Amino acid sequence: MNPIIRWFHKLGSPPYFDRFAARWAPWGYGLGLLVMAWGLYGALFQVPADYQQGDSFRILYIHVPSAWMSMAVFALMAIYAAIALVWRIKLCEILAMACAPIGAAFTLITLLTGSIWGKPMWGTWWDWDPRLTTELILLFLYLGVIGLYNAIDDRRAAARAAGLLAIVGVVLLPVIRYSVVWWNSLHQGQTIRLLGESSMDSSMIPPLVWMIVGTKLWFIGALLTRARADNLRRESGKGWVAELARGKA
Amino acid sequence: MSYLNYVIAAYAVFVIVLGWDFVATRLQIRRELRGARLRAEREAARPRKGAAASELSR
Repeated sequence: MNPIIRWFHKLGSPPYFDRFAARWAPWGYGLGLLVMAWGLYGALFQVPADYQQGDSFRILYIHVPSAWMSMAVFALMAIYAAIALVWRIKLCEILAMACAPIGAAFTLITLLTGSIWGKPMWGTWWDWDPRLTTELILLFLYLGVIGLYNAIDDRRAAARAAGLLAIVGVVLLPVIRYSVVWWNSLHQGQTIRLLGESSMDSSMIPPLVWMIVGTKLWFIGALLTRARADNLRRESGKGWVAELARGKA
Repeated sequence: MSYLNYVIAAYAVFVIVLGWDFVATRLQIRRELRGARLRAEREAARPRKGAAASELSR
């Protein structure tokens, strides 16, 4: 058997996944923290203030990576949920459900930092603008997935029901993405492009790239840790968990 | 730095929410392992089927 396929098969084993997650999650957190620290240093101390927004534009360095993560994590959750629904892979159920609280955290950061940024720039904490409203709906979708997963006792049935909600919710992502194009919006249009020229000055880009990479690495750590917790919860009656618990005592 | 309070508030939100996510997950793992240990201890303390029940046979 192909070694990669064999590794995937092994990863599906709960004890093997537990060891894998326990080993690699600290690396995700650690590297994420280092990269984000470097990015934040650049964002706060190296980049010049914006000529119009002054230093308030520095909020961008946490707002934009969090906003991108809020959507990327939802897409990933839906992919895991679809795989879990089609092939009934338990690990994908666990990973899909582990995405939800992390994605909700990034969405909350997006909304709160956007609100804090909006007050000095727009003169208001909140506006029922298409971008803001769709992002708020995304938070409600995340909370719906989390609530549904915890409302049903049977873990597998709960994951399937919540996964279905995640898959349906994916239709919101292009609406969020293009809301500033389709409607008149108080929120600014697209200024940063991964492919093509950004309308932001190039000197302001590097810390943003570090923050985008840093949040992704942090997410890997958080995903593995949350998935590990759910894996332990599902397997709590098994001997390997009891042995692990005795070892930790 | 202009708008300093807003910048501090936004960065504080970022640190607090991610910090909460980190701590909450660690606590959840600790809770699951503690639950598993207590369950194992309860099961170990329970008399096995077929074993002599000394109190009743007296």
